[in-house]
Amino acid sequence: MLKDVFDVVQNSHIAYVIGQLNNIWGIFAQFFHIAGLILVLLSVVLVSLRLLGFGLLAQSAVQLAYLTRSWILVGLIFLAASGLFMLIPSASLYYPNPALWFKFSALAVALVVQFGLSRYVLKQEHPRKLYAVSYALISLTLWFVVGLAGRAIGFMAA
Amino acid sequence: MIRELLQYFYSSQWGEGLRESLYVYPLVEGVHLLSLSISFGFIALIDLRLLNILFRSVPIAVLLPQLRLWMLSGFAVTFVTGFLLTMAEGPMLLDIFVFPLKMLAIFIAAINALWFEYSYGRHINTWSARPSYPFGVKLSGAISLFTWTSVIILGRLIPYLDGVH
Repeated sequence: MLKDVFDVVQNSHIAYVIGQLNNIWGIFAQFFHIAGLILVLLSVVLVSLRLLGFGLLAQSAVQLAYLTRSWILVGLIFLAASGLFMLIPSASLYYPNPALWFKFSALAVALVVQFGLSRYVLKQEHPRKLYAVSYALISLTLWFVVGLAGRAIGFMAA
Repeated sequence: MIRELLQYFYSSQWGEGLRESLYVYPLVEGVHLLSLSISFGFIALIDLRLLNILFRSVPIAVLLPQLRLWMLSGFAVTFVTGFLLTMAEGPMLLDIFVFPLKMLAIFIAAINALWFEYSYGRHINTWSARPSYPFGVKLSGAISLFTWTSVIILGRLIPYLDGVH
């Protein structure tokens, strides 16, 4: 079922158009993907470090989360747009790649933690230590796993 | 001289082992990318503060000490993993024109950081609270932002230009 969707995507007109583009566009997509990764990781690391009692101590974790909220959104838009640009022309080739599915699973959990769990932890100016530390460690681990799994996609395909 | 050194590392047990490892090489490459992304993020944050674009309410004398350790730790990981990747790739890297350019950009970034520390970092408290920072400070921030962005772009171009000499 899902395989059929991937086949349809790869055989679509948009996949054909992207596939015909010069390689330079693929390189641009990679740069946007890295820019997105930097924006997301920086926001996650700044807030997580603050929750662990390190980093930018001049601001509270809540203030940092508010300040970096737009960075995460822009970063995710960059990641999604450039990721789709790279995936669409070769969707059927990527389908059997276990690293892709591992990345998507980790990404889904990371997003739930980022936009769901954070509401509870970052609701108060001084969250409970156990919640703050657990959230920070889980969030850091998940986003690092997403990054490593993303890099693994290229090696698994090779 | 550099070519011979790279050849020595390439032929060494470490270079060969890393190159032929199914899991370690991708892991080292992944860690290199992530640590570079984080340290670049930190340095960009500091540079943008020097340029008076971000965190304007926080003096750089407060911001810099709080981020320095994390930024330098990130760069340490980046340099170690970068060295390991260079060992595995060997002297062929010198034939890809962007690799020497990347090394040049790192060198300029390092000289710029030393110049900043020597000229402004030592007496940061005398200018940190000013509403607008000295021209040299802003220039250093701009050079840092430009060179590190170049490092990332040039580094990402290496696999694409591998074989195009």
